[in-house]
Amino acid sequence: MILAAGINDSVIVVVLASAVVYGTPLLYAALGELLAERSGVLNLGVEGMMLVGAVMGFWAVQRTGSLLIAIVVAAVAGAAMALIHAFLVVTLRANQIVSGLALTIFAGAAGLSSYLGNTLNVADEPARRTFDSFLPHSWRSAKVVGPILLDNNALVFASWGCVILVALYLNRTRLGLNLRAVGESPAAADAMGINVTAYRYAHTVAGGAFAGVGGACFSLAITPQWVDGLTSGAGWIAIALVIFAFWRPTLCIVGAYFFGAFSGIPFTFQARGILSGVPPELFQALPYVMTVVVLVLVSSAGARRRLGAPGALGTPYVREER
Amino acid sequence: MAAAVELRNITKRFPGVVANDGVDFEAAEGEVHALLGENGAGKSTLSNILTGLYHPDEGEIRLWGKPVAFSSPREALEAGIGMVHQHFRLVPPFTVSENVILGDHRGEGKKFVVHPRRIERRVAELGERYRIAVDPRARVWQLSLGEQQRVEILKALYREARILILDEPTAVLTPQESASLFETLRVMADEGRTIVFISHKLHEVKAVSDRVTVLRDGRTVETVDTASATPRSLAALMVGREVSLAERVERTGDVGEPVLEVRGLSAAGDRGGDALRGLDLTVCAGEIVAIAGVAGNGQRELAETITGMRAPTHGEVVVAGNRLHGGDAREAIRAGVAHVPEDRLHTGVAPSLSIASNVVLKSYRGGEVTRGPLLRLRAIRDHALELIRRYDVRGGGPELPARQLSGGNLQKVVLAREFHGEPRVLVVASPTRGLDVGSIETVHGYLRDAASNGVGVLLISEDLDEIRALADRIAVMYEGSIVGERRGAEATVEELGLLMAGGGE
Amino acid sequence: MIRIERRLVQPRWLSVAVPIGTVVVAFGVMTIVLLATHHPPGHTFDRLFTTGFGGKDALNGTFVAATPLLFTGLCAAVAFRMQLFNIGGEGQLYVGAIVGAAAAIALGNHSGWVSVPAMIAAGAAGGAAFALIPGILRAFFSTNEIITSLMLNYVGALVIDYLIFDSQSYWRDTSSPTAKVFPQGKNFPDAASWPLAHAGGLLLPFGFLAGIVIAFLIWVLYTRTRFGFEVQVIGDSPRAASYAGMRTRRKILAVMALSGAIAGIGGASQDGDFRHTLDPRGLTSAGYGYAGIVIAALGRYNPFAVVVIAFLLGGLQNAGFALQGADFPSGLVGVLQGLILFCALGGELLVRYRIRFDRQVAATA
Repeated sequence: MILAAGINDSVIVVVLASAVVYGTPLLYAALGELLAERSGVLNLGVEGMMLVGAVMGFWAVQRTGSLLIAIVVAAVAGAAMALIHAFLVVTLRANQIVSGLALTIFAGAAGLSSYLGNTLNVADEPARRTFDSFLPHSWRSAKVVGPILLDNNALVFASWGCVILVALYLNRTRLGLNLRAVGESPAAADAMGINVTAYRYAHTVAGGAFAGVGGACFSLAITPQWVDGLTSGAGWIAIALVIFAFWRPTLCIVGAYFFGAFSGIPFTFQARGILSGVPPELFQALPYVMTVVVLVLVSSAGARRRLGAPGALGTPYVREER
Repeated sequence: MAAAVELRNITKRFPGVVANDGVDFEAAEGEVHALLGENGAGKSTLSNILTGLYHPDEGEIRLWGKPVAFSSPREALEAGIGMVHQHFRLVPPFTVSENVILGDHRGEGKKFVVHPRRIERRVAELGERYRIAVDPRARVWQLSLGEQQRVEILKALYREARILILDEPTAVLTPQESASLFETLRVMADEGRTIVFISHKLHEVKAVSDRVTVLRDGRTVETVDTASATPRSLAALMVGREVSLAERVERTGDVGEPVLEVRGLSAAGDRGGDALRGLDLTVCAGEIVAIAGVAGNGQRELAETITGMRAPTHGEVVVAGNRLHGGDAREAIRAGVAHVPEDRLHTGVAPSLSIASNVVLKSYRGGEVTRGPLLRLRAIRDHALELIRRYDVRGGGPELPARQLSGGNLQKVVLAREFHGEPRVLVVASPTRGLDVGSIETVHGYLRDAASNGVGVLLISEDLDEIRALADRIAVMYEGSIVGERRGAEATVEELGLLMAGGGE
Repeated sequence: MIRIERRLVQPRWLSVAVPIGTVVVAFGVMTIVLLATHHPPGHTFDRLFTTGFGGKDALNGTFVAATPLLFTGLCAAVAFRMQLFNIGGEGQLYVGAIVGAAAAIALGNHSGWVSVPAMIAAGAAGGAAFALIPGILRAFFSTNEIITSLMLNYVGALVIDYLIFDSQSYWRDTSSPTAKVFPQGKNFPDAASWPLAHAGGLLLPFGFLAGIVIAFLIWVLYTRTRFGFEVQVIGDSPRAASYAGMRTRRKILAVMALSGAIAGIGGASQDGDFRHTLDPRGLTSAGYGYAGIVIAALGRYNPFAVVVIAFLLGGLQNAGFALQGADFPSGLVGVLQGLILFCALGGELLVRYRIRFDRQVAATA
């Protein structure tokens, strides 16, 4: 027993466990952004969508006490934000980068999410119900596997299911094939009778729904409160994550937990007095610095050529333009 | 023979141009019907209307006697119309099977989950029957252009298209491959399908079609039986006047010292592997040397390497005695290399900038248009006006954004700019692609003039007619090196075709 | 059926009408949002406008708010013009503030003629250096500058926090009695305070005037010089630029450095014009960098338009801040900014394209 407790208490296990916890919102948001980008739409508004999902999910649980409703509300809120972006870039052919930034400004910290947080009076109170670990105690304290994998809430388990579903969708179904075609060569897809507009709308909105759920991970599980700017940049890390994962769902989970670890390290190290001479800001900067480092490694020309972005990412598709 | 497709009074307008103006067209079952017209006559627009990509502003379409209106490509596909586009509508990272089944709603396509093996079998079957076999598991980006075209045809056959439209299909084929394609089309027509063959090449139309409909300036001129037409009569219909058919003009003038020497040049391609393999080439002052070859054998990379847009891995490029370090476009420009690129709109000009800006795209660094770090905008404008006048560029004044010029006028701007730099070497790639006959004649004239003035012209083209009309020497390129040379006046299509296909010497 | 086709000519009047229409529509949507959340729109807007622009005090406050926006707006415009999406104006402003503060502390005992230019130069250098990080990564490693510059914003904020809250740094005030209780930055010597221009009762910060001069210089640079010509070409078509032998990498570095330098001067201006100390909380909670992006996009990257729009948005910011309280919704400013930007993006469509309504081509019998 003591030995088991020993391993489960070791720094590595604790860090890995926190990697899963902090990585889950990243995973949801990244899966969503992956779907949008696979259809050719770059959505930089992930941070904003996550925050709106977080605040609306929180409000829903305060009002109804139901976690299920809260998640649905969070997803719908994120999807609604994404719909704005989809309308601007698919129908109105606006510049995707500027539109995504506009969405971040509109919905993000000091924007709509903050406005809603205030107006709906949800700040400074704990959640009525939260997502907690629910497996039996003996499972949760199993050696190594317990804390890392089994001592988790429904959102974490659901995220694994989502990874599998998205991977199957992309690679094994007709719709997934069509989606990939839309993102690579919209002209080819259009000529074969695929409705490029519909796919882009659908997957951008789906991306928003995922991001909303990712935000709710913070307000309904990790924190679990509503604070302005709760996600502190997780949305942006998720965007980088998609590139890091070469637009593949299975690599998303690896990346999410990798970056999640860096979010968890500051707390763990501080709590244990490890490297206590090092200023906390240095640890807090780790996720952001690592994102840059990883991005540089991945972007070197060779890597990008072979395992690349969807061919038509970022460009609007116009059928009748000469 | 029953009429399979009829177009009546089709009109289609775009901002600033009427692409189709009351066009009538009719093709019968079991026939190969050619749609002939020069570039810009409205052929592609018409075919896009037939396949549901565009909506006609006026007029009606009938299939087997019944009127139809397509609101999307899907409806056209379901009605039995298949198309092989000039620029393939394929998804490069996908396999052949994935491309074939894309968007299909019947049979395999209807299933939610995709079973690759059944599709592969069907694709292999079709390939065998029509002699257009391709490996169903290959990824499209790995295929040659000829093979990619076969995939396009397989797509249509897989969907049991009764009407097959091919848009300029021989642009990417060797003469032998073209002949093979014509056989395949004959087989399909004999089965009762309707083939619409769009082209601007007279001898092909003569070779493959039963009837020809000629379009000019967006209108139908006439429909004739191919048997009773001659290339000359067709050309006259196409252009509206008597035209000399790309005849050779022998130029006088001495050939001088070599201005471009390429020795053992090798360069990497974009997808790994070598695009150029130990290539040797010499161009002398006053000479027009043409590079013939099917697209995708390294021509683009050759042009880029000589002009400094790509760095070589081995070998050297020497311009008028100066050895270039390579990989530096500015160095090449300074050495006297002018470049009219294949993609004139996206590489040759900055499309949203004005004509005036584009005219000084390479010369803004010094000379009369600058004063220190500042630009003399008035001088630039005057310079642009002068060139517009001299080269008869139509469409607007110096402030007009370059993208609004027609193909021919855009090419004139590019040529005007390149000639103005008084180059020693002029590298031109596919200079007359997409241009109407009048512009083609003009551009050919400029190239001949340049050569007469002592410039060494390197002409890279996929159009054998153009090459045979202009070149003093023809070098054939295959898989990154020169596999044969002929004198321009003596080369035959058969010989060149054989070399282009890799049947070396 | 609705069809959208590209316009051949972009009529002049549309280029003016659309931005105005944009703002009108944005306010319209805002009205709906306010009504839905039980805030009286008329009253709210009225308070916004009077607090922002009504009277000398309001205007002075607006200049204060507009000054940083002017710098971050120009920072974004300078880079975005070349399709270089520098989102790091926020972080570059912070670093400029840090280096500018160092100059103020070190040289502040000399006369203003020395310390003010020194602070400007220091701020510019700091911002430029920080911007060169994403710049180098983009130029030499093809790394997307959006994410790298953005990540550095967070890093920059952490650096400022560290300097004042978790270290005994040069910038930290360790002597005064209040400083022993709350961590804060050293107050600058008097000579490091930037002068104010007086004009008919209005107080114009030196930074604001400097910003206008910089806007003019940028306009000259981008429309009248070889440098600017290359920026235009690279921004329009990188392939054409390399075809023409332009040194794209060098341009990327130069433009990023310029962009960062401008934001850095904005940071120095925060030190010298307004705060007179290195103020982490104040700087990092303001969101100047992101607002600058909105301003640049609205002004279509034209430096003079940026000046005007920065002033207007400064008024909005000023009013929003002054009105913050229980009865005035927070986050309103972000929402309004976002709405304006959305409408501007939508309006772009009207300028570039024309919308046509077609009846289906009917099949005749």
